Amino acid sequence: MKKKKISVFSVVNGLIFILLALIILVPMWKVLVDSFDLQTAYGMKLWPEKLGLAGYESVFSNPTLSRPLIISFVTTICGTLLALALCTMGAYVLIQWDMPGRTFFANFLLFTMIFNGGMIPTYLVLKALHLTNTLLVVILFPALNVYNLVLMRNFFEGIPASLFESAKLDGCSPMQTFIRIVLPMSKAALASIGLMYAVTYWNDYTHYKLYITDSRWYNFQMKLRGMTMGSDLPQAVGSATENTVKNAAIIVVILPFMIAYPFLQKYFVKGVNVGAVKE
Amino acid sequence: MFLPVFIFACVFNYLPMIGIRYAFTNYNGIKEPVFNGFENFQRMFSMVNFWKAFTNTIVISVVKLLLTTAFAVVVSLFLNEIVNLHFKKVVQTIIYLPHFMSWVVTASIFSLILAPTSHGLVNTFLVNVGILGEDQMIYFLGSTKWWRFAYYLINIWKETGWQTVIFMATLSGINTELYEAASIDGAGRWGKMRYITFPAVANTILTVIILNLAKVMNLFESAFVLQNDAVLDTANVLETYIYYQTFNSGSIPNYGYTTAIGLFKSIVGCVLVLVCNQWSKKVRDGRGIV
Repeated sequence: MKKKKISVFSVVNGLIFILLALIILVPMWKVLVDSFDLQTAYGMKLWPEKLGLAGYESVFSNPTLSRPLIISFVTTICGTLLALALCTMGAYVLIQWDMPGRTFFANFLLFTMIFNGGMIPTYLVLKALHLTNTLLVVILFPALNVYNLVLMRNFFEGIPASLFESAKLDGCSPMQTFIRIVLPMSKAALASIGLMYAVTYWNDYTHYKLYITDSRWYNFQMKLRGMTMGSDLPQAVGSATENTVKNAAIIVVILPFMIAYPFLQKYFVKGVNVGAVKE
Repeated sequence: MFLPVFIFACVFNYLPMIGIRYAFTNYNGIKEPVFNGFENFQRMFSMVNFWKAFTNTIVISVVKLLLTTAFAVVVSLFLNEIVNLHFKKVVQTIIYLPHFMSWVVTASIFSLILAPTSHGLVNTFLVNVGILGEDQMIYFLGSTKWWRFAYYLINIWKETGWQTVIFMATLSGINTELYEAASIDGAGRWGKMRYITFPAVANTILTVIILNLAKVMNLFESAFVLQNDAVLDTANVLETYIYYQTFNSGSIPNYGYTTAIGLFKSIVGCVLVLVCNQWSKKVRDGRGIV
């Protein structure tokens, strides 16, 4: 009797989660289907009625499409590397407990999490530094993230103290210890936090919107926004309708990540837990 | 080694703070700023739209936070009951996915799904099952009546899954002996959930709420990409208000005035962080949030 009750629960629970997964997937599936559908009214169809690639042809025939894509890749790679460098260096300084000024440095960083100058003063400073309308601003500005820096410090604190001592005895300078011991020991954290930065850079819209007005320096998110909001809609080719083109554009943006995502997922979860364990 | 980090913090975090002085001036970026005392603040407090943006920020952020947290807790509790590990993995992979999509992509997807035309999935569904008439389609993201509802739903869709990560970590930390002891005492599935699992996550729930309450004032991108001129009454938040006032006002921007709004926002945010920090220390044995 009891056994049966449990299995009923399991079945219902399983069904609930299948439903939940469908709720997550259907909007994305719908976009995918419609991007291939050349019919004028999509309605509720979850399968293309008139299969065709004209939507994608229109997106790729857009001459100004490859540039934002390259910009997205370049800023993501440069930004992630820079952000990781800052993050590991700052975190390493924070674990030098006997360094004079460590507490000041920690408070100096933490204060930026509590208070900031606000949108307009920040904009005016970046403008005065001639950083607006350059890619430097979208690479440099988001690079220092104190929250991730603290996560990294938590991870560094987990490295056994005996390793640091033996390195010191072997005559390693702090810099050598950092490069030869700390970094190789932190591969998991570097992967997790690096991926978080990569997603942030790839998805960045706010900084472009605020600091870049020259459409030559737009990244792919800005381009997509322009396309789906209609201000920069690519010319429809062949029998594609405006909506087919919009759907195709969304798929082009999310596809690279969708393919990589199942393999990367575990690193993302690890990153959260690095912080959660010690916090 | 601290020098690069120090320089970044100075240039991008501390230098803008000097710009706060513009809040007490009349400044349009062309002429030199002229000191005008608290005039900007007087003007701000007399603006209906400012107060609307302020209350919108608080209401939207808090409701969003409570809804996604509540959904995440319920989903985690049931996710924890799934016995088949493969199924659990697949479900987790799927529900985490939307978190990694940018707000631009999310907004693009939902503006198509919720469109009030024969293309929109939701509207055609409602018409087909007979809830709406052919000519009664709802423009969810373009009507002040529906915008917040749609905004909350989209947030739940996007963030619930990822929020379960932290609750699942807590759940996996519960000592299994507790469950065995409860079984011996005759507790069923619901009894165990009620008396063991839920109390264990209660502290995590509080932590998540405190951590996020501190960020209530920062709401920008998600609201910005989903709103349009028609819904600003219910959708405009402080950050978007500042943005429109500065960059979209159609006239010469008054940096002094918008800096004043930003300063007000920063101060409220700062107070919130400090209050949450004290609260956090009280309920989490001395651990603050900063």
